[in-house]
Amino acid sequence: MNGAVVWLHGDSLTPTDPALLANPAAPAVFVFDEPFLAAAQLSFKRLFFLYECALEAIAGREGSIRRGVVVDEVRAFAAEHQATEVHVTASVAPRFRQYVAELRNAGLQIVIHELPPFVLWRGAPPRRFSAFWRQVADQALRPTGSGPELPAEQDVE
Amino acid sequence: MQLRTDLTTRAEQVAYVAGALAGLYSGPATPSPIRGGRRAALRRLRAFDVRGYARTRNDVAKRGVSALSPYIRHGVLALSEVRDSILSRFGYTPDTEKFVNELAWRAFWQLVYAQLGDRIHHDLEPAKHRSRVPRRRLPPEVETATTGLTCIDESLRELYATGYMHNHARMWVAAYLQHWLGVDWREGADLFYRHLLDGDPASNSLSWQWVGSTFSHKPYIFNRQNVERFSNGEFCMRCPLAAGGCPFDDSYENLAQRLFGVSLAELEGRR
Repeated sequence: MNGAVVWLHGDSLTPTDPALLANPAAPAVFVFDEPFLAAAQLSFKRLFFLYECALEAIAGREGSIRRGVVVDEVRAFAAEHQATEVHVTASVAPRFRQYVAELRNAGLQIVIHELPPFVLWRGAPPRRFSAFWRQVADQALRPTGSGPELPAEQDVE
Repeated sequence: MQLRTDLTTRAEQVAYVAGALAGLYSGPATPSPIRGGRRAALRRLRAFDVRGYARTRNDVAKRGVSALSPYIRHGVLALSEVRDSILSRFGYTPDTEKFVNELAWRAFWQLVYAQLGDRIHHDLEPAKHRSRVPRRRLPPEVETATTGLTCIDESLRELYATGYMHNHARMWVAAYLQHWLGVDWREGADLFYRHLLDGDPASNSLSWQWVGSTFSHKPYIFNRQNVERFSNGEFCMRCPLAAGGCPFDDSYENLAQRLFGVSLAELEGRR
């Protein structure tokens, strides 16, 4: 009983999500956060955009898009796949930290993956962007590769 | 509840999701013309030509912007990927430097959010100056894009129809709501968050606070001349208030006095 599933959220909803890439064969789940969305009442456009992102993120693997209480749905999904490990990519949202804590309390092992950094930064940021930029400009302007492979020109909208 | 993932056409998916997510959204069940997903994100990245960006990014008519924000916000494209792609294709130029500088704004907002959490939804600093207009709730004509000001209404209509608004137009609308109408920034931020495909708690709330001067050293204001210059004159050409009654048709000095009761130098913290 040590299978793994991937939990996808709206801050990294892509087939290149680091948790997905680290677990190429693992089932993955994305949950529309029912209590949050019922209160927020976002436009349909936003939710449908997420749905389209989620569809592509889970394509080619066992995947599930759900509506409900996030922690309950992730727990149920892990149980369906006899998984005790949930892999997820980090988010700075306070709600994310809360859900991770609840999943851990429920006895699941949570493995957090990090996004590729744009710049390396430790500690509190300055109060103003200009001060931040002065400190990171050199790093920010230094490429770490050539970027993703792009579609051929004829495929461009 | 599990949602279907087997529908192939966008029309079928829209009709299905409209029902499956009933109760979780407000307004009409129409999708944005902007498609979600990694494939659409890469097509947009491929189509974006950064040359001229430094000159055209603020122009709401020329639209020198990348329109990648919905994808970046949801992690469909990582900031580092976008940076690498642009620098490797276009080299190091004033345009690519400006573009990377704009990417860094998002990194900055995320760091502030990581540090402060939900405190970003409250004033982070005292406002440096507050508009003298009486406080009021978000008026219905903003929600219906019928303020009678073409630059504001057309920007809002684009937001409601597509889930996108040009950054410079966001600044105009945010300043208009806060400084001219006296609406609390949280109400404006909430309106934007409900509609923007790139709606992010940090970028959104902190940008509204930047305009309001609770996270910057001065309130952001604009005038008609700025709108004309950065919209190729098009908004004003179509505006019923062009001949008289435009609330933005004034010098910055007079607007500082009218809205805040201080000189422009005081407003900008130079005195």
